[in-house]
Amino acid sequence: MSTAPASTESLRLGFLTALHLENRGYVAGLLVTNKYGRPLEFQCTAPVRPNRTQELLYGPTLVPFLLGELLSKTLLDRIGIKPHFVLTDLTEILDSRPHVALPVACVLKGTTTDAVRIGKLNFGLHAEFNEDSKAFERLAKELAADADLLEPLDRVREALDETMKAAA
Amino acid sequence: MASGEWRIEDDNKRVAPASPVTVGDAVASEPQVTTHNSSLALVAEMFPAGHNGALRRWPSVETQAVSLFDKRAGLIPSWKPHWTKVPTVGLTFPLGFEFQPKADKVAEKDGLNKISGPKVAESDLAELTDRSAHKSMTRLKPPSDAISLADRLFYLLQPPLQTMLAGQELIMPFEPFPYQFEGIGWLFQQKSALLADEMGLGKTMQTITAIRLLLRAGQIRRVLLVCPKPLIPNWQREFKAWAEELPLTVLEGDGTRRRMLWQMPVPVLLVNYELLVRDWADMLDDEKPKFDLVVLDEAQRIKNRDSCTSETARSVSRKRSWALTGTPIENRPEEMHTLFEYMTVIPKGGTPDLRQMQRLSRDYVLRRTKDLVMKDLPPRIDREEYLELTSAQKSAYLDAEQNGIVHLNELGDQISVQHVFELVLRLKQITNFDPLTGDSVKFERLAADMEEIAASGGKAILFSQWTKTIDWLKERLPAECGSLVYHGGVPHKQREPILRQFKDDPNSHLLLMSYGTGAVGLNLQFAGYVFLYDRWWNPAVEDQAINRAHRIGVKNAVIVTKFICKDTIEERIDRVLHEKRELFRAVLGDGTNSNASLSLTASEIFGLFDLKARHGKGTKKIAPKPAESSVDAA
Repeated sequence: MSTAPASTESLRLGFLTALHLENRGYVAGLLVTNKYGRPLEFQCTAPVRPNRTQELLYGPTLVPFLLGELLSKTLLDRIGIKPHFVLTDLTEILDSRPHVALPVACVLKGTTTDAVRIGKLNFGLHAEFNEDSKAFERLAKELAADADLLEPLDRVREALDETMKAAA
Repeated sequence: MASGEWRIEDDNKRVAPASPVTVGDAVASEPQVTTHNSSLALVAEMFPAGHNGALRRWPSVETQAVSLFDKRAGLIPSWKPHWTKVPTVGLTFPLGFEFQPKADKVAEKDGLNKISGPKVAESDLAELTDRSAHKSMTRLKPPSDAISLADRLFYLLQPPLQTMLAGQELIMPFEPFPYQFEGIGWLFQQKSALLADEMGLGKTMQTITAIRLLLRAGQIRRVLLVCPKPLIPNWQREFKAWAEELPLTVLEGDGTRRRMLWQMPVPVLLVNYELLVRDWADMLDDEKPKFDLVVLDEAQRIKNRDSCTSETARSVSRKRSWALTGTPIENRPEEMHTLFEYMTVIPKGGTPDLRQMQRLSRDYVLRRTKDLVMKDLPPRIDREEYLELTSAQKSAYLDAEQNGIVHLNELGDQISVQHVFELVLRLKQITNFDPLTGDSVKFERLAADMEEIAASGGKAILFSQWTKTIDWLKERLPAECGSLVYHGGVPHKQREPILRQFKDDPNSHLLLMSYGTGAVGLNLQFAGYVFLYDRWWNPAVEDQAINRAHRIGVKNAVIVTKFICKDTIEERIDRVLHEKRELFRAVLGDGTNSNASLSLTASEIFGLFDLKARHGKGTKKIAPKPAESSVDAA
C-alpha cells in the first residue's frame, strides 16, 4: 500500500490507460495530477508489439500481461512523482495491482455491490486486493462529489495519440 | 538398410516410397531404382560391395536416462517470456504559483460563488462513462507555433478550463460565459495575441483569468500590464474582483520608488503608458527588466509606428506579447501593422498586404461581437430624438452658420480642415445651448426625462464632447437629479469616490461624463439610461461610451437617447456616420460591425458644407475631394 498523502493538498492521482495501435502494438500512458486534475507529470511508453510466438504462447493472457504487468509496472516504476492512487478505465490494467504497491481501481460501467463510489463513478478493484476499498473510500471523501475522473484519462489518450503521431 | 522403391517421375522429382520403410529387412530385398517412364524402362540394381556387410548388422543402441530439465536435454522452456526493457518518455510540469485561498477562508467571503463543473444526472451513469459528457468542456489546444512534443503535450494535458476553475482553486465572482472560456483558453495558449472583442464583452476579465492560469501553471512569472492612466483604477478593481489572491503592483511614486519597483520581481506590474515611456528612457539597457508577458490595454495607443510610446512598448523584452483593444483599426487597416510588429509576428518595419494580414488575423486575432455571443444580453434600445431648436438657438445658429460660411469662402484657397472644424464645433455648441440666452431644447428634453428617471429610482449616464457643457448642465439641472460630474477636469483622486457615490447613493441619478474620460474602461452596467447629449465624430467612440452601461452584468434593457437637432450640422453628421457604418458593415459583415472607428475624414468634414472658393469671376468647389458618396450625403 502506498504511503498516504501528508495532506489533502498533496494528494496525487495517477491516471493510467493504454491504446492499441494497428501494426504498432500497445502503448500506455500515465498522468499524475493533483487532486484538482492539474498535471504534475506524464510518462508514456514506446509501443510494444508482441511477436507471433508470444501471441501463441500467451494466448488470451497476452493483453492483460502486456497492459497490466509490462507497461503499467514500467510506467509506475519510472514516474518521478509517485501517485497515491491509480485509476484506469481498462480492466486489464487492474492486473497490475499484484505487481505494484499502489491501490488500483478501474471504472465500472454498471453498478455492482462491491463497487467503490468515487465522484459520480463506480470503480472496481482487483479481486485479491479488497482491502484497497478503504483507501479508495478515503479518496472519495477528499474529492468533490461530482468529480469527473474519466476526463483525465481522455487527456492521456490524446497525449498518447499526439506522441505516436510525432514518433511516426 | 531400408528398402523401398523411389520412383523418378518424368520431371525427375523424387516422390515418397510407395511402401513403408522397415528397419531390418534389407537382407532379402535389394534396393532398386526404377522408372515408370515408358521410354526409359530400365531397372537399376544395387550390387553388394564389401562395406555393405556392416550395414547388415543390427545397430547397437545404448540408452541413457536424462533429467527432463537438465540443461543437456535442451528442454528448459526456451519460450520463457523475455521482453526487452520498454523505453518511456516523460514530461514534468513546472510548478506554478499557489494562490488558492483555503476553503474555509473562501466560504467566509460574501458574494463569491464556487463554480461547479458541468452537472451530470445522478441516474445516468452510462451517459457519464460515455465520452460525450466531456464535449462541452473547453480544452486547450496546442498553438500553431508549438512544435516540440513537450510543448504540445503541455497544452493537451491541461485540464479543461471549467475543471481548472471548478477545483476550488480559482474563485470568481460569477461563472464566465462560454465565449469567455474560449477567450481565456485562446489567450492561455497564445504567445502573440490580439484580443479585439467588442467593448463590454469582458476583455479585462479574460486577460486577468488567463494571466492567473499561466502564473498557476508556471508558464509565466513576471507580467507587465500597460494601460492608459485613467484605467489604472479600473484594472485594480477588476483584479480585486477576478483574482483577489494575485499580487498586483501599480508603478507609481517618485523616480526612486519607481526605479525600485521596476527591479522588484513582482508577478504583475501595472503601469500607464506615460510612465513606461519616461522610465524606459531613463533606464540603462542593463537595468531594463525582462518580462514573461507584456499586455497592452487600449493597444491602439501604439498604432503610430514612429511614436515614442509605440517604440518603447515594442522594445520591452518579453516572451509573450498580448494586445487588447476593441478598435484594432481606427481609420486604416495599416494601423494593424504596428500591432503585428509588437506581437512579433512580422519583422520590424514589415508591411504585410491585405491577404497576409487576413492570415495573421486568423492566427493571432480573436474578435467577437455582442451580436454573435451575447444573444441573451438584454437589448439596447436606441432612440434618436430629433429636436427643434428653440427660436433663440435657431437664430444664433443661423447667424453663426451664415457668418461662418462666408468667412470660410473668404479664406479661398487658404482654407484648411481646421477652419471648417472650428465652424462645426461652434455650431454644435449652439445646438447644445445658446451661449447668449442659455436656451436649450436638449436641456428641456433632458430635464423632463431625468425627472421621470429620478422618480423611478433609475440611473443614467450622459456624454458630451465638452466639459463646458457638462459643467453648464450640472449648474442647471434640478437637485432631485442628483447629478455628478466625471470629466478630465476632475482630479484623479476624486474620480473613484464619484463613481462609488453614483453606484451606491440612491439619490445620485445622473453621471455627466465627457467622451474622452468616461468612454473607456468603466463598468456602469447598473445604469439603465444613456444620453448622448451631442454626437461624437466617431460611432465607435459612441458605442464605447454606450457600452459602459450596456455590458455584461446588465440586468435590464438599456435605453440610449441620442439628441439630434433638426436642420443642423448634427443631422448632417449623423447621416454621414450612418452611411459609413453601413458601408463598413457591408464590407466586413455583421460580426465585425464596429471593427473600425469610422472617423470623419477631412473630405467628409469639408463635405458638411457646400464650400466654394472664388475663382475668377465665378466660384469653384473646393471640397470634398475623394469621398463622393459622402458629398452626396452631405
